[in-house]
Amino acid sequence: MASREVLQYRSASWRVVRAAGWLFIAAYVVWTVLPILIMFLSSLKNLLDAFRLPPVGDWAGIVKLFEFKPTFAHYVTLFTDDHFSTYFLNSIICALGSAAVSVVLGAMAAYSLSRIDFRGKSDLFFWIISTRMAPVVAVLVPLFTIFRLVHLNGTLPGLIVAYTTFNLPFAIWILTGFFDNVPFAIEEAAMVDGCTRLQALRSILPLVAPGIAAFLVLCVLFAWNDFIFASIIGSGGAKTLPPATSALVQPQNIQWGKIMAAGVLTTLPMMLLGLVIRRYMVTGLTMGAVRE
Amino acid sequence: MTSVAIRQVTKTYGKTVAVSDLSLDCGSGEFLCILGPSGCGKSSTLRMLAGLEHISAGTIQFGGRTVNQLPPKDRDIAMVFENYALYPHKTVFENMANSLRLRRTAAAEIDQRVHRAAHLLQIDHLLKRRPFELSGGQKQRVAIGRAIVRKPQVFLFDEPIAHLDAKLRAHMRGEIKRLQRELGITTIYVTHDQLEALSMADRIAIMNEGVLQQFGTPNEVYNSPVNTWVASFVGEPPMNFIDGELAGEGQRVWFVNSNIKVPLAADRFGANRVGQPVQVGIRPENLRATLRDPGTPGWFRGTVFAVEPVGGDTLVTVTVGDMRLLAKVPAGFDADMDDACWIALDESKIHLFDRPEGRAIRNP
Repeated sequence: MASREVLQYRSASWRVVRAAGWLFIAAYVVWTVLPILIMFLSSLKNLLDAFRLPPVGDWAGIVKLFEFKPTFAHYVTLFTDDHFSTYFLNSIICALGSAAVSVVLGAMAAYSLSRIDFRGKSDLFFWIISTRMAPVVAVLVPLFTIFRLVHLNGTLPGLIVAYTTFNLPFAIWILTGFFDNVPFAIEEAAMVDGCTRLQALRSILPLVAPGIAAFLVLCVLFAWNDFIFASIIGSGGAKTLPPATSALVQPQNIQWGKIMAAGVLTTLPMMLLGLVIRRYMVTGLTMGAVRE
Repeated sequence: MTSVAIRQVTKTYGKTVAVSDLSLDCGSGEFLCILGPSGCGKSSTLRMLAGLEHISAGTIQFGGRTVNQLPPKDRDIAMVFENYALYPHKTVFENMANSLRLRRTAAAEIDQRVHRAAHLLQIDHLLKRRPFELSGGQKQRVAIGRAIVRKPQVFLFDEPIAHLDAKLRAHMRGEIKRLQRELGITTIYVTHDQLEALSMADRIAIMNEGVLQQFGTPNEVYNSPVNTWVASFVGEPPMNFIDGELAGEGQRVWFVNSNIKVPLAADRFGANRVGQPVQVGIRPENLRATLRDPGTPGWFRGTVFAVEPVGGDTLVTVTVGDMRLLAKVPAGFDADMDDACWIALDESKIHLFDRPEGRAIRNP
């Protein structure tokens, strides 16, 4: 659909609204960017510098926040003394593993749900998505019990399965919508060309790429940021970054510098992922395929 | 190249009957049009031929071989879809090469065949583009190109030019017809446009509400429609219908109603139906109209309701009593609304239908 021109007439109230809008955006930027900035700066400070804060009300003292000698010691010790390379790898394996399983199973399930009509389809669809609506803690205890029976607790496959229970319904839900938008005719053309059903599905996958990209991000994000599953089901042999970071809060010694460094390590890959995948999320590949 | 036989095919969706007991034969190399309004079952028929839908009852045979249980890829057909259905993420070349690649054709041969098809359709310069960079007419050519790179047994066209503008459509009609003759491949072409069917097909199958109405050459369906439905669907502007009854007077049979009285050729319609209610069908081009009283029998006085000049011809709507008739007369018919006007029917071109069934009455 072509976008329309938004008409704005310059009146007195328009100026007020515009000024308020800019004010809101400025506040929003401070609100979202400042914590990340503080985290990043603190991760480069030693303990003394980190706690050199201006007194409350002394706005000019803010410059003190930026007066420090940067050090990468926290990052180094995380990897040398605290096994963060293992936790980092665990996080990557869990996030990508769950995303991969969910995308393969989800794409096939979504394709069937989109293409085949059968009795109770809408009920089935609702049931699938309703499993995603349950809070994580509600599932945690039963899952823990089941996993104990099959010895999945404290293992990476266990965590991957746990994340997939939440990611798969989500994948089906998102991808069904995307498949619905792919005209039947394209896969029918593929089948007339000589494809089997499965080959036809593969030939329309590029058309749901934006959906897969969007879902991959959300999937990875869910697993990457998860704390509860990781600390209960993953505890023992499958520690990921969030519980590892919280372990740095020790009763006698809160290691702020390391915590901030771990925070940066946890945030950075997700930001990069967002940047990389943004291109795919906005590419409307179906454009011009079929006459609208 | 192969013949196609549709034998007593029925297609139902739940309780809805889309195609009812359809039997058609399409000879080897023949161009067959299935014509009908939307929802008449023509697309369902084509999709069953393609193997995209199951056949509820009956059989479909390609060259004597029953294909009911063959998936599309094993039927050796090529289909052009109404909305083109090009692969949006592939270039024109890849779109056209896809079916050959799936059959593991050698790269050099694919290259040669695609270029030959592209040359035939004059799309050589577009081979590197993607579908969204093409106009409607170009996409349509690519869709046809995708079908002709392979030498399939049967071509299936599903309203391939319905979405093009009128000028391009007229142009493509000629091109598709010529292409079909050159390739000599059995073709089944579905359309709702009677002009497309009349101008391109060797034979036309006219369907309505899932039922085959008439199956014949363009000449037959135009000049000898089997019922009022076919008569009104084929021809533009549509045929006029006049209710009345048959009356015998002396040696002659007349068609009469409160407004007109027309002599009929007794040998064409027979005298044994005198007294029966009938309907006369007369095409607009078989009506004559004049503004001055000719003073001879066979002319009926009416008034001009509307005049529509359409280039070479003029369409005149004339009110005669409670009837309204459309006549197609040569350009230059200069009349105003409500002017007096006389019209006459070309007796040799009259179609006669029984009532209320609407079946054509022919020479017994």
